[in-house]
Amino acid sequence: MEFSLREETKMLKSNAEKFMKEKSPSSFVKNILKEEKGFSPALWKEMADLGWLGLIHGEAYGGSGGDFFDLFVLFEEMGKALLPSPFFCSAVFAGLLIQGAGDDRLRKEYLPGIVQGKRILTVGLRNEQGVYDHPDPELEARETGEGSYRIKGIRLLVPYAHVADQILVCAGLRKGTKSFGPTLFKTKNNGPGVRVVPLHTLTEEKQFAVTYTDFAAAPQDLIGSPGKGAEVIERIMPRLITLKCGEMVGGLSRVVDMTVDYVKQRVQFGKPLGALQVIQHTCADMTTFLDTARLIAYQAASLISAGLPCAKEVAMAKAWCSDVYKRSTQMAHQMHGGIGFTEEHDLHLYYKHAKAAELEFGDSWHHRQKVGEEMGL
Amino acid sequence: MRFWFTEEQEKFRQEVRDFLQAELQAGTFVTKSGGLAEGNNQAFSRKMAERGWIGMTWPKEYGGQGRTYVDKVILNEEIFKVQAPVAYHFLADRQIGPSIIHFGSEWQKEYFLPRFVKAEENLKFCLLFSEPNAGSDLVNVATSAIRDGDAYIIRGQKVWTSGGHQSDYGWLLARTCFDPQVPRHESCSQFILDLRLPGVTVRPILNMAGRHTFNEVFFDDVRVDARFRVGPENEAFKQIMAQMDYERSGIERVLQNYPIYRKLMEHVKQMDRKKTGAEFYSWVRDSMAQLEIEFQIGRLLVYYTAWTIDQGRKPSKEAALAKAYCNQYEQRLNDLATRILGPSSLLREGTSWAAFDGELAECYLWSPSYTLQGGSVEVLKNIVAQRGLNLPRK
Repeated sequence: MEFSLREETKMLKSNAEKFMKEKSPSSFVKNILKEEKGFSPALWKEMADLGWLGLIHGEAYGGSGGDFFDLFVLFEEMGKALLPSPFFCSAVFAGLLIQGAGDDRLRKEYLPGIVQGKRILTVGLRNEQGVYDHPDPELEARETGEGSYRIKGIRLLVPYAHVADQILVCAGLRKGTKSFGPTLFKTKNNGPGVRVVPLHTLTEEKQFAVTYTDFAAAPQDLIGSPGKGAEVIERIMPRLITLKCGEMVGGLSRVVDMTVDYVKQRVQFGKPLGALQVIQHTCADMTTFLDTARLIAYQAASLISAGLPCAKEVAMAKAWCSDVYKRSTQMAHQMHGGIGFTEEHDLHLYYKHAKAAELEFGDSWHHRQKVGEEMGL
Repeated sequence: MRFWFTEEQEKFRQEVRDFLQAELQAGTFVTKSGGLAEGNNQAFSRKMAERGWIGMTWPKEYGGQGRTYVDKVILNEEIFKVQAPVAYHFLADRQIGPSIIHFGSEWQKEYFLPRFVKAEENLKFCLLFSEPNAGSDLVNVATSAIRDGDAYIIRGQKVWTSGGHQSDYGWLLARTCFDPQVPRHESCSQFILDLRLPGVTVRPILNMAGRHTFNEVFFDDVRVDARFRVGPENEAFKQIMAQMDYERSGIERVLQNYPIYRKLMEHVKQMDRKKTGAEFYSWVRDSMAQLEIEFQIGRLLVYYTAWTIDQGRKPSKEAALAKAYCNQYEQRLNDLATRILGPSSLLREGTSWAAFDGELAECYLWSPSYTLQGGSVEVLKNIVAQRGLNLPRK
């Protein structure tokens, strides 16, 4: 048991914290959410130049081949500021899919651009209920001739599809009457057979519905082997889920700070709210949520980073973080009273993020089922 | 960041396990929840002492091993998983010894510490803190210690004294300053009190589980030599505050009911799903997964607090937070177990129909005490808020 961070990781963490504080204050975040692009190209370039987008990609592709744990603490810091950007969908999700599908041609073609931030990729893996359906995709790909395909179906909640160079999807592949199963393809966000429609979501982040109507895919658009798409996705899922947990821990820590600061300043009944025991106990409970979420999420990240088995620990982290982050934002609203319910205040950013993060990759119930499985129940 | 143990630590854990398994097989003790309250066995403590497992975090000059708190948690984790009988030395190891090391006189160190680490006879301690009018508000103690030459005359009453009837000494908190102008928390001192002295009366209190572990202790002008006072006069609360954090969050806080946890897990694994029905099983499975998550988190909190101590930091917030969390977890564990086992968990020991041979009913009866003993959850949350988050007292 060793709970301190390596020097390099500490440095990265404090640099990221400083970066976010200086360059991504909440007013900036709120403005970006209103803009059509939904991210700041200037900051995106800076993040790429800092090497963040290439942290876990190989040196051959311009990355630094670094430790997953470093990426995790970076996500914790980004979760504090909630800076909207295609980092997760492009450099992590799409990047890891390309890294993991075992096709060096694709890696060479796409990873350097992703790492430099010059190319933005995204993933369309959620069905019309917004659920990741890669084990049995509702999206269909039909082979119409030797190596040419037609893709049909709808993908929901596709982040940054409007600026994406490529959208990676997983479709059920059929050749004639034969079914090959979930297969990864890359698709475009414009042209014949594809339509990208913006969605107005609770978080205000840029998300889209992508409709494919006999979208034509060429042989080079197939990623990895036919029928292996779900496996590739499942293999990277623990990392994706754990980064999401890191982001949640960051958000949760901001919520606790914000609330503790507020109850120290706000005077009612002739004294600071924070002098009232009922308020103190709520703050103590929120701190307990934060400390426990951090421990359980760091545990998952440290196991992944060491290449150790982690299925149960990742599921425990997502189940716990989902519950306590959301619960803390609700408690924070109660502590803040009316002011926290305004557009002007920052709390709503976290309230929204907590809900979206809870529902991404399965909520606590979903992950408790996995924990149960791992326990042999 | 490393959430696993070093090879050395794993080896040490195995050594402890092997010892405990051998003792279990030899019939020295049986595994039953509540071992800490009832497992008073000096012979067993001596065996641990021979292995250097009492006072292992203490400096070598006092007979300790100078080992880390994480190592101590590893030892105690194995001890409490099987509920080995450590009550004889547990308090001396956990807090009496460390308090003497920090605040005791040379004579006290020379007399008690070497005897503690050897688990010598007639050295079981109890805590004489709580009184009828001083529970969570501990500064309200009324028991008086009035100076009389080279001695103090103790008069008053203590209550909720765990193991008082089996103990040889008490660690006593008493008022030594009676000036109403002096704040109450600067008016008390700590003493080591030989319970065999004339004027000490120990009376049993039965708890709601029907067990005798608590006592009332009365002092009728008990004359105590001044060399048994610990540290300077009127500094008791400074000492208690400094010491409490180190003792609050041992792994026992999450393992007092570990046998119930283990038996529940076995029970659920062997459940006949056809008989219980898919809906009930699905609730059971979800609840067990939640329980497992909560247990694993409690364990991490304890290790984290121990590690914090090893870093030389004072774990006020961490220890209070960990204890409050773990106590509540244990209550949920017992409650969930009774619901999964159903009405057979109402049966007490003595019939084969009783869930877990009556251990479950007993543990459920013990449950309310977890969030009270050693600082109530409310007091602990005050500490987290005021000392951890710097929220104002007024």
